[in-house]
Parts: sequence; structure tokens; C-alpha cells
Amino acid sequence: MGASVLRPDGALKVSGEFAYSSDLWLDGMLWGATLRSPHPSAWIRSIDIGPALAMPGVYAVLTHEDVPGEKFYGLENKDQPVLAIDQVRYQGEPVALVAADHPETARRAADAIVVTYGEREAVTDPRVALERRMLVRHQPVRVGSTFSADVVVTGEYEVGMQDQAFLGPESGLAVPAEDGGVDLYIATQWLHVDQGQVAPCLGLPPEKVRLTLAGVGGAFGAREDLSMQIHASMLALRTGKPVKMVYGREESFFGHVHRHPAWMRYEHGATLDGRLVYVKAEILLDGGAYTSSSPAVVGNAASLGVGPYEVDNVHIDAYGTFTNNPPCGAMRGFGAVQACYAYESQMDRLAAACGLTPVEIRIRNAVSQGSRLATGQVVDTPAPLAEMLRDLDAMPLPESVSRDLRDLPGGVGQTTHGDGVRRGVGYGVGIKNICFSEGFDDYSTARVRVELLGGEPHVLVHTAAAEVGQGLVIIQAQIARTELGIDHVTVAPADTQVGSSGSSSASRQSYVTGGAVKTACEAVRERIEKDGRPLEVILQDGPIEETREYRHRRTFPMDPVTGQGDSHTQLALCVHRAVVDVDVELGLVKVVELAAVQDVGKILNPLALEGQIHGGTAQGLGLALMEEIQVRDGKVLNPSFTDYLIPTILDMPPMQLKILENPDPNAPYGLRGAGEPPTLSSTPAIAAAVRNATGLPLSRVPIRPQDIALA
Amino acid sequence: MRVTVTVNGEERIADDVWEGESLLYVLRERLGLPGAKNACEQGECGSCTVYLDGVPVCACLVAAGQAESRTVVTVEGLASDEGLHPVQQAFVECGAVQCGFCTPGLIVQTHALLAASEGVPSDLEIREALAGNLCRCTGYEKILDAVRQAAGRADG
Amino acid sequence: MREFEYVRAGEVGQAVAMVTADPETSYLAGGTTQLDLMKDGVLAPDRLVDITRLPLGGVTRDGDVLRVGALASMEELAADPTVAERLPFLREALLMGASPQLRNMATIGGNLLQRTRCRYFRDPAVSACNKRRRGTGCAAVQEVARMHAILGASEHCIALHPSDMAVALVALDAVVHLLGAGGSRSVPIREFYLLPGDTPDVENVLRHGELITAVEVPLLPPGARSTYLKVRDRASYEFALTSAAVALRIDGGVIGEARVAMGGVGTVPWRATTTEQMLEGSPPSPEVFAAAAELAITDPYVVPGTAFKVELAKRTVARALRTAATQGGPR
Repeated sequence: MGASVLRPDGALKVSGEFAYSSDLWLDGMLWGATLRSPHPSAWIRSIDIGPALAMPGVYAVLTHEDVPGEKFYGLENKDQPVLAIDQVRYQGEPVALVAADHPETARRAADAIVVTYGEREAVTDPRVALERRMLVRHQPVRVGSTFSADVVVTGEYEVGMQDQAFLGPESGLAVPAEDGGVDLYIATQWLHVDQGQVAPCLGLPPEKVRLTLAGVGGAFGAREDLSMQIHASMLALRTGKPVKMVYGREESFFGHVHRHPAWMRYEHGATLDGRLVYVKAEILLDGGAYTSSSPAVVGNAASLGVGPYEVDNVHIDAYGTFTNNPPCGAMRGFGAVQACYAYESQMDRLAAACGLTPVEIRIRNAVSQGSRLATGQVVDTPAPLAEMLRDLDAMPLPESVSRDLRDLPGGVGQTTHGDGVRRGVGYGVGIKNICFSEGFDDYSTARVRVELLGGEPHVLVHTAAAEVGQGLVIIQAQIARTELGIDHVTVAPADTQVGSSGSSSASRQSYVTGGAVKTACEAVRERIEKDGRPLEVILQDGPIEETREYRHRRTFPMDPVTGQGDSHTQLALCVHRAVVDVDVELGLVKVVELAAVQDVGKILNPLALEGQIHGGTAQGLGLALMEEIQVRDGKVLNPSFTDYLIPTILDMPPMQLKILENPDPNAPYGLRGAGEPPTLSSTPAIAAAVRNATGLPLSRVPIRPQDIALA
Repeated sequence: MRVTVTVNGEERIADDVWEGESLLYVLRERLGLPGAKNACEQGECGSCTVYLDGVPVCACLVAAGQAESRTVVTVEGLASDEGLHPVQQAFVECGAVQCGFCTPGLIVQTHALLAASEGVPSDLEIREALAGNLCRCTGYEKILDAVRQAAGRADG
Repeated sequence: MREFEYVRAGEVGQAVAMVTADPETSYLAGGTTQLDLMKDGVLAPDRLVDITRLPLGGVTRDGDVLRVGALASMEELAADPTVAERLPFLREALLMGASPQLRNMATIGGNLLQRTRCRYFRDPAVSACNKRRRGTGCAAVQEVARMHAILGASEHCIALHPSDMAVALVALDAVVHLLGAGGSRSVPIREFYLLPGDTPDVENVLRHGELITAVEVPLLPPGARSTYLKVRDRASYEFALTSAAVALRIDGGVIGEARVAMGGVGTVPWRATTTEQMLEGSPPSPEVFAAAAELAITDPYVVPGTAFKVELAKRTVARALRTAATQGGPR
């Protein structure tokens, strides 16, 4: 524990042998394809599958009439049709399915299905949706009654719709089983919640829908909702053949939820010396056509809407709207990311108004252990924000403007030789809830078995927890080795043959599944110790196996009127400093360096941890400077990697990290979830640095060249 | 149509290939070599990078027929009986692999960079060479570490 | 993608004959545009004639002219020592034009024929596109535009020419060599591209079946200063918002010759002739450059999403001129 042990899937991944969900192959398998709605809002007048069915090589064409069981599914609210029934509510909504013997045949057959639509008004402005009270959730936070102060700053902020843009598009293989059920090999974040949604729609009991995790090409929230799981299963059950579905990149943009775009209005009041008196905020998050995880997103935005700062008077209204825009749901840091951009922008305005540095204003208001959040929840574990900010401030700054023009804004575009370049420095602070909140029964299950193999004790760890790239597979092995003192540890493939591990989201798996593995190992160890004989001798009687569930501390719902309640079990902090060079004439930004300090409680694997912080930071850079799904009148304008830009290796600067270990006594080993917090704080830090360089207000991310050059 | 292509040193024949299939599809679905990945189908992400006659290309934009009688090396062809290629080993050791979907393309492109480099590439040369390979997990820091290590740089 | 026939051409004349004979037959070279557009359903030829094995490659120097075979790859041209020495801004445009992998695949002929990235052109579900089908209208003018043209544009079409390389070649007055069934001809690159007018589907002077065989590029005079500057939304591998290819010959404190072309603004790679005229005979000062850049954009056709390009393009040209004058010497 605490060492950079190399991940066991690494060698397979570098040699091309790791089997991702899109790599699976069976003799005689068919390919599935999906026909999607071109309209954001329309009645379906008729669907004619005849022309598609008549095509050679086509085995099945299915519509909503062919859904064997329940017609609707959903994570929190079953409001999403498996296939559109009489209407479509967003562009890209699945309408019909095809199975054929070649992917191209399947695509052509899908195109041959004739759907007659009657277009109708689409509600695509969330402000209109708010007026009409088309709300998935409204969560107020009310505390205190003093809403005047000596220093008042206000601001309106916008965050564009970000995409998770994982590299491995949605895919999987459904295999019909002899018992009438289906075996599904799938890339997902949570096998059991998939099973719980797939089985009812197939009209099957859960035990007949067996899911096994195939290789996952990144997730970041985008695999929390279902994509092709029910569809491939329907086609497999109908045709009696294995069916593989693989989305292309464009379809992937329509096949998963996105990060909620946000419109936020903030008012901060403070004393003359920069101590917060009150925060008022209205946070509008567009959830698009279906519920997905919008309620939780709204909850996070509300409960964490003032950031990690002490303030006695808070008046927040966070809204999630229903519109005919693409559905939005989980993406790394959800709800907290959007609010963080706004409250951190406000803290900089406040610093300027009070004549303080950005670091000083944050230190003056920083939470610490014992602080009370806006929800009334007391921070009861270490929260050394002031220390983190001092550490960050003490990290050396990169040297002044580089001489190598390729290091300047525009980079290899060599737009400048130093002309018009101004340096800026900015800070960002973020706070994220770790694990599921608001009273959710959040747990994980682990089965640990010790047996003799070749005369030596081996440990087999079996959970349903999804390795999505984050390195959970090595963390589980490290925990088992540490707890049992046995070198040979294998982590079994994740599947539904063991109890649920919950989702690989909310930075929770090291905590919860780590806790489950630890607890199961302790149970095994207890049996060994109780027995008293040497392990090798005990194991000659047969394997020792224990299964344990692990739950974190209970959380509570937020009061629907006041927002009060101990809604989170753990909170994590990350702070970023961004140094940028901005070519103010041409509007180009070069991020020169990003520095971060994060408190992770306990480092389990430094290499994996650093990778999480780097990667989360990069996604925050993308949101700050380039990433946005452009939606106009409900239609996505840029569903490709040509037009939706994510950072390349030339966009990412070197990073400095400092990692603190102030343990959380409630968590296994004292650890804190680490994956999300860096995604919060890097965006406002970069935006602040660009503002610092340019003097522009820049109230919207992503910031584009024209926002700087032609402001 | 029939496509004959030498892949990883072995002559391979794919029959019944449809003209619209890409080299990537032929490798993955007809020749059992799924190492090269299909992530964008537009040449935007580099996940499908393979050598074609010794030059790294995006296999998703090579029509199957164009590969006829040519030589392809995929990520599966880089390791030897002795084990992983040093580039592959460095990616594992440096933590440059998370979800790994971009990794095969990066391995091939890095392999090509180091094979073509006289001397040891600078960070900027590495960044320029890998600018057509998108990674969403790592923020690229560990990838740079891996390339430095594979290049034998003291800071690798 | 529609069914099509794939044929590998054995020799040049045969290829030209095959394509000329059938309006639904097209050439296939590097494939980076052609196959991409076929996947999107924008192009649907009945037959592709693969010309990649024809002897149309190579980069050779003949005095002060570089002859570039149409099938030379972008990478091959970028790596050519003459290009590095005498056409450095062409090299820069090539390197900024695509990722290493795509530079290895894409050919010079194909690059000249690169199709626009206009999303409405690339989405067959959008019905209004005069470039795809004459007379259907232009969705880009009506809806959201950004990566679109402001010069040579009109209500009929604002699709942008996406090539970086072609911008440098237009600045250099390169000559395009064509071979058709009726014989060969040579066309100055500025006459090769056609303004869309009310026929945006016709992009150049190529007759059906005519093949680009080579491009002749006059070398810059020794001592000329040049640069290619590209403004884009991210640091690499992204199309230009605006770009400028600039070459200056400065003799005794006076600009003797100026070549200025712009990318990211025109429906074709755009030569800034008025700018050039003002520069020639003037001293190379920031004030002169700024004034000359002001002339680079005249009579733009803008829609709300592209209005920013007017000023950004001028700044891009001014910056490129300053950069070329001070830094763009032979390297």
C-alpha cells in the first residue's frame, strides 16, 4: 500500500491484447444499428420497417412494439423510452433497431426505415423551461437573514455543454442464452444498475440477464446511463444470435448524456476586509429531454454552491430543467464543476473589490475542520484549505515568457514571437462530495477467496466494480496483499455473479469497493487467526471465502425548502494555480503551467493517483478553453472530433503536484476520493489567469480566441 | 474482393472484403487483430495508427484495397519473444496507461518517433510527434514520461 | 456508405480514361478527404480508381522551381531540404496542416482538392447546401456559422477552403499541371480555384476525369523572409480561424517584393493583392504593416458568427508581416 505498483492490465493494453467491449467477436454474430430521431421534438406518425426488412443480410428490425417488457428505463426516474413510442423529445433519440450480418448493411437498413414525423415546437431555452416550471428539480438553500454588506460583487456566468469524450465509443456484445436469458458483455460504470434497468425492459428476471464487464475505453460519467445494452439484448433475443453494437464517434455524441450547461447569477457580500457575509445564487442547469442524474446534479450545485468557504447567510436556488436539448447527466464532478467556475470567478471579483490577492481572499474565508457548510453540515474531518493555498502559493513559478516561440500562445502555429503576449496567473479552489449523497444507500460488495494453487496460497478478489481506466484493478490487489500478506493476488473480471459494487463514479470506488475488499480480507484473516494453524495447512482443507458489503456513513436528504441536512459523507478539496501566456491581439492562450495541491487522505498508489489528477486537470483545461457541444434549436452542431475539440498533448502544460495526506478517520485507510476534485478547480484557475493577463471579465467558458481578441 | 496483405511479418488473406471497408476494419474484424482501435473513424484521434509500408498512418482512412500486397505492422507486432518492446514497457512502468484505448496508437506513433529520431527527442519534438493522438485519461504527463524513458533520456 | 467498385490503376493514361469515361467514377489517392466524405454519405461514387501506385510522386528541383508530384505526401514535401531552405513558410503550412499520421497519407494533389469543413456540407441530412446540390440554398448563412468564409462568399455559399498548404502555394504563384483525356495543360493556382458565385458545387477548373499530375512551385529568392501564421482554437491539429502566408524580400530598407495570402477567410485561398501593392516600395515598419493589413479584407460577406474574422484576419496579416520582417529569415 502506498507504492506505485504497476497495474495488471497494463501489459495487455500496451500490446493490443486487452479485450475492449468493441473488440469482442463470436462466430455467426450479427451487427446492430440504431435509427435515431433527426428532430428535437416531433410526433411519430408512422414507422415503416418493410424496406429495411426486405434487404438481404437483415435479420431483424425492431421498434417500440418489440420491447418485450417495460417500455421505459432510467437511472433515477424511469422516463426514457427504450425506443421512441409516439414522440421524440431530443435529436438522436433511438427510434428503431436493426440486426444484420455486416455493420454497413445494418446502417443502410436503418436508413431504409421510413419514419413519418410531425414536427412540433421544441423548448430549447432553459430559461423558458424555468418560466414554464418544466423542472426536474428545484433545490433551495436558505440560511441566515443578512443579505447586505459593505462590499457587494455580482456576476453572471455561463458554462457550455461539455462532453466526456471518452476514446472508446459505446459498444458491447449480447449473447442469447439457452435459458431464454441473455449474457451481456459491456463497457459500463455500474453493472448492477444496468442489470436492474435491462431486465425489466426485456421482461426477464434479473438472474437471466447476466452482465460481464468488458474492457472500458474511458467513462467519466458517460457510461452511467444505458446506451446500447437493452437494444443489443433485444436484437439477440429476437434473432437467437449474438449481436454486437458499436457506436461510431458521431453516434456516441448522441448516445450518451453530457455535462449540464449552466447559467448562473451570483451575488457575494463581504466586509471591507474581505470576509464573506452572504452569498446569493441562482443556478440553472439544463437537463435536456430526460431525467438521467439531473436531480443529483442539482443537489450538488446547491449544496456546494458557495464553495469551500465559511459564510453564514446563503440564499441559493438551483434548478434543473427539462427541455428538448440532448439529455445531460453525469460527468466528472457534476453540479460542482459548474458552480465552482462561478463562485471562484466571484471570489476573484471580491478580491479585487477588497484590494486583496486571490490567495488571501480565499484563505480568509477558507473552511477548515469544524466549519459549517451552507447546508448546516459540519466539516468533521481535516479540511486544510488555507494550508493548501499557502503550499500552492509557495510553489515556484515558471520562468518568464519563453524564448522558444513554440512554447508561446499559438504554439507550433508560431503566431507570435512575443508580440502582444501577456502573462497571467490565476487560482481556483474546488470542493467535491465523494460517494453518493442525500441518503442514497451506497455500498459495495467484495468476495475474497484464499486457496492453494501449486502449493502456494493465492487470493482471488471478486467484485462487480468497473475498472474504467482509473486503476481500481490494482488498488483492489494492493489492498488484498496488504491485508492478507499474500503476494499472489488476482482480481477476477467484474460481473453480476457477485453483489453490487455501485458505480465507478463520484470518486467513490477506492473508498467503497476498497472498503469492501478490506473488510472481506479482514474476515478471511479472522478465520485464519481463529484457526491457529499455518495458512498452508488450513488451506489443505479447502479454500477460505468471505463476502462482505461495505457502507460508508449514512447521509441524509436535503430539506426541500431550506436545503439543510448532512447530505454528504466525505468532502474533498483541490486547489489549482494556472500560469498562462495570452496573445491579446490574436486571442490565443498558452497554458504555461498548472500546479495543484490536493488532499487525498492517504495515498494508495502514487502513479495511479497522479494520473487521476493530471487527467482531471486536463478535462478542466478543455472546459476552460475549447470544449463545448454547440446546440442550436435542439440540434447538435459538432458531433465529431473534428469539431468538438479536446486538448492534445500540445495543449497540456507541465504540471506540479503536491499531495497531502490528512486522513479521514471514517474512510478505509483514511483515504479521500481523488478523481473529480481536480476537474473542478482547474477550469476557474485557467479562466482567472486569462482574466489576469487580459483584464477582461470573461464570464463564459470555454473562452474562445475571439472572446479575447475582439472583446 | 480478396485482400492479401503482410501483417506483422505474416502474409494474410481476407476474403469477401467489401470495398468500403477500411484497413482498420479488415485488421480488426477479418484478421483477428483488434489492437488498433476505432475511436473516431475520421483520422482525428490516432487510435488506429499502424505502420503501412513502414510509415504510420490512420488505418481508418485507408481503403482495404489500398493495402493490397503491402506491409502492415500493428501494435500486436511490436513485442518480441523476449517480451514487450521498450516503448511498451515504458508506457506500463510510467503509468501512461489508464483506460488504454488510445494506447495502441500512441505506442505505434512513439515507436515511429524514436525510430526516426537521430539522438534523443526534446519534449517539444515529442509533443509535436504525438499531437495527432488524443488521450482523454492521462493529461499526457505520464505519456511524456514514458516517451522520455523509452528514448533513454536521463529524466525519463 | 454506398456500394462502389474499387479499381487499382496500372498506369496514368488508363486511370484518366477510366474516370473520364464515367461521370460517377472518381479518383482515390490518400483518401483522407474522399473516404471521410463517403462515410458521411456526402460523396457516393459508383467506382473509385486508386491512383496511389502511379508514378506521380517525387519532389525534384529544377533551378528555381520545385516540381512536386501530385502523389508526394505532405510529409515528404515538408521534409524536402529545398523546401526547408527556400520555401520555409510552405513547410510550416504543411506541418500545421495535419497530424503526422495524416501528413504521411495525404497527397499534395489531394490537399489542393480538400473539401470544405462546413458542417452543413458534410451532413447530408441538411437539405440546404448549394455546394452539394445547386439551387438548394445555404444552411450556413441561415443558421450557425463560425468556421466559414467572409471573402468570395455570398448568400449562395460561405463554405471555407480549409487547406493551409494551398494558402502558401497561392502566395507563391504555384502552377498546377493537369492531365486529361485530351492532353495536358497547366493552370496558375490562382486561376485553378473558382469563386462559388451561384455555382458553389464547382470549386475549380478541373474537368471531369482531369488529374492533377504535379505542382510547380517557384522558389523564393535567397534571403527572402517568410512565415505562415495560423490562429486556431487549440494548439495543434485544428483548422484555421484565420491564417496568413507571407513572404517578403527586403532590399536596402525597402520591401522589394511582398507575397501575402490568407487562409480561414476565403471560399478559396485568398491572395491579398492590395496589401502587397501597398507594401512594395514601402519601408518594413509596424505602421506600414498595420496599414497594409487593413487593406487585406475588403467587402467581406459576414454573418453574425463570422463577423469576428474581419478584424482577426487583419491582425493575423499584420502579425505575420511583422514576424516575417523580423524573424522570418532563412533558417
